[in-house]
Amino acid sequence: MSEKAVQETFGALFALTDLRQIFRETKPTYQLNDEQKKRVREIVERVRQSLDVIEKELIK
Amino acid sequence: MRNIVEDIEIRAREELFINIHPIQSGGRLTPEAMKAVIAYGDGYSTCDWCRKPFRLDKIKRPPIEEFHVELAEFLGMDQARVVPGARRGFQAVVSSLVEKGDSVIVSSLAHYSEFLAVEDAGGIVKEVPLNEKNIVTAEATARKIEEVKKETGKLPKLIMIDHFDYMLGNEHDIRGIAKVAKEHDVPFLCNGAYAIGVLPVNGKEIGADFLVGSGHKSFASPAPSGIVATTNEWVEKVFRTTQMVGDVTKRKFGIKEVEMLGCTLMGANLIAMMASFPAVKERVKHWDDEVKKINYLMDEFLKIEGNKVPSEMPRKHTLTKVDTTGSFDKIAQTHKRRGFFFSDELSDRKIKGEFAGATRAWKLNSYGLTWDQIRYLAQAFQDIAKKYGIKVLQ
Repeated sequence: MSEKAVQETFGALFALTDLRQIFRETKPTYQLNDEQKKRVREIVERVRQSLDVIEKELIK
Repeated sequence: MRNIVEDIEIRAREELFINIHPIQSGGRLTPEAMKAVIAYGDGYSTCDWCRKPFRLDKIKRPPIEEFHVELAEFLGMDQARVVPGARRGFQAVVSSLVEKGDSVIVSSLAHYSEFLAVEDAGGIVKEVPLNEKNIVTAEATARKIEEVKKETGKLPKLIMIDHFDYMLGNEHDIRGIAKVAKEHDVPFLCNGAYAIGVLPVNGKEIGADFLVGSGHKSFASPAPSGIVATTNEWVEKVFRTTQMVGDVTKRKFGIKEVEMLGCTLMGANLIAMMASFPAVKERVKHWDDEVKKINYLMDEFLKIEGNKVPSEMPRKHTLTKVDTTGSFDKIAQTHKRRGFFFSDELSDRKIKGEFAGATRAWKLNSYGLTWDQIRYLAQAFQDIAKKYGIKVLQ
């Protein structure tokens, strides 16, 4: 149902906003420490999951 | 992707560059505020659950009413309102207190919007001179009060002084000035545009009758956003509600506050401010570290021969005026890019926010940069100096 897809859209946007924050914290060299790398992995995974749900709900 | 629509580019300055712009750092959004902008960008987004008495600061969902209460508490005042920028806070207070011909005492480093607020009300500004260290003191303010009284036969209607000024980022004797104001029975407005949201501020501890803050300067909020707070003594005057009745319709709008023109700061700006609030409450506790960082940066900056810092030293604020007339400006005199050589060099090192082309007196702000970024910045200034043969002390 579309409500779930809407929620996941916000979920993905918010996760990518957290990624923006990592860019802000590490600019201009972007040398990420272990904790920041872990956060990036979590964000990417979160966005992937959201995209899967959106795809499933709206297209497939 | 580089554009939002044609001609409007994406602004990725904060993701790509170390931004030292003097007025942008404290208003940089928290991730929570960025999410609020995404979710509450629609025009009347804050009004979904607006119920009686139909006033923005009474809305319970999202918890806008609760935010107002907590904001006043955070500032050590009795009541607070959000407004579209500090200037609207000055305007609300000045408009309530000042009539045509009344005098208002301001600092010699007062922001222009304080002048405009007084002019709008028909008042006249009277400036307190600075001392030899570019500080507004209680003694100078007391002298100015007496001078105004002697000259006009009346006390000034208001004293409006900046906690930290925008020109030098110097700290002024607001506690002493508040005391002098009380002794002369003149209300005191403390302009906390560069203080509220970055460092601990308690209005009652200062002795202020009014506190004004800026969301987009110091509260991690979008522009325009600001705060005006006061004590119970002044609530009914400054936050007075309308008494007007329509002569034909007999309509009246009793709950609406005149100076706020009804509802004040709405939509994404307000919700972003609220979303940043927990982070703001936390970050003010770490102001000492911000001061350590700017002092480290200035110590390194002063190792470059010819550099000066016109702001008070050691620094008490991250907003700082620097003078590179004796260093980078000498290079600019003969460089084909003139003063822009310096901007080019900074840009090549992924640093932005200096006044483009300026190599004499200019301002920077280190607020919110990490220690790694501060060290990178200090090194960049020194590397540019060395590249052009300017001596750098070890």
